[in-house]
Amino acid sequence: MSAERWKEDEALLESLRKGTPDAVDELLRLYQGKIFNLAMSILKNESDAEEAAQDVFMTVIRKADTFQGNSAFYSWMYRICVNTCLMRLRGKRRNETVSIEEFMPVFTDEGMHASPMDDWSKEVERDALNEELGQMIRKFTEELSEKYRVVFVLSDVEGLSNEETAKILGLTVPAIKSRLHRARLYLREQLSRYLREGKAG
Amino acid sequence: MICKELAYMLADYCNGTMDPRLREELDDHLSRCEPCMAFTKTFRATCAETRKLRETIEYTIPREVRERLEMFVRSAVLKYPEKVNEYREQVARDRREKVLKLVRAATAGTLSSATALLMESHCAACPECSGYFDAARMAGDHQVTDPPEGIRSHVIALMQALPPGEEFFLA
Repeated sequence: MSAERWKEDEALLESLRKGTPDAVDELLRLYQGKIFNLAMSILKNESDAEEAAQDVFMTVIRKADTFQGNSAFYSWMYRICVNTCLMRLRGKRRNETVSIEEFMPVFTDEGMHASPMDDWSKEVERDALNEELGQMIRKFTEELSEKYRVVFVLSDVEGLSNEETAKILGLTVPAIKSRLHRARLYLREQLSRYLREGKAG
Repeated sequence: MICKELAYMLADYCNGTMDPRLREELDDHLSRCEPCMAFTKTFRATCAETRKLRETIEYTIPREVRERLEMFVRSAVLKYPEKVNEYREQVARDRREKVLKLVRAATAGTLSSATALLMESHCAACPECSGYFDAARMAGDHQVTDPPEGIRSHVIALMQALPPGEEFFLA
């Protein structure tokens, strides 16, 4: 979190509380992209994400006055967003997700790697692959169940610290670390399979 | 160290927060184990690719969604400023009332035991509040009016420290 963003947030909160006419414009300018994307990554559906974003902004505007300021403004807002989205998911039939277990590394009884391991780390350094890999990472992330997806998006995509993510989701830091690690192991395996198949094809 | 352990310790290893002794052990294993070396390198590459994604990600929001969202929020705010204000005033009134009740109870000695304990330990460390409440007790609870802002904010913090469901006052 940069000092600059912090200051921007403070000023924004202040003007929301005072009801300054530009406050809402500023709120939308700074956050509608982030909130919409966060909602998209949880709900995976544009019209649901749009409605969730409406709810989030109305809640933020209504409650700016009672916001206690013992957490950062943006993390308060992310928390409202996550809660709003999870509430929406609750009533719905679950989206199709993959089982993360199928992508965890496999070991022998002695704890050694059970399958041969390709080193494709040099391969992905080629710039030509950049865009394609970015798309694949997004696709694989979308297939994760929301339990992992939300943690992964907040930490690795939004760049929040484990402590911040823990606070937003109401989980402990060790729980965040463990989910994050499993999500990364999953992603590594998905990329491995993708690159292997690419080569074979 | 075995491969399985290594795989589950990689996070600390890669972000540099690992205990140096453990790190040495892990390095030693890596130098002797080709699959783990490949695993570690590709794990690192995965993290690096994700970071790249973070740097290049644009918070794209489709134009028509953006326009609808802006219109919705603006018109909602325009339409309901009285409602929002009403709500805010209500919140402020409720809070002022609660603070006053608590200050009166503190003066009259009818706080619940948990609240009284919190209040006591706060006053022991806060000359401002202990001065205020001592004076209030001397004057009697019927004299109490809205406390000054400094005291008010301390009382609010105190109320928020109370466990949920805990009552402020004795029945």
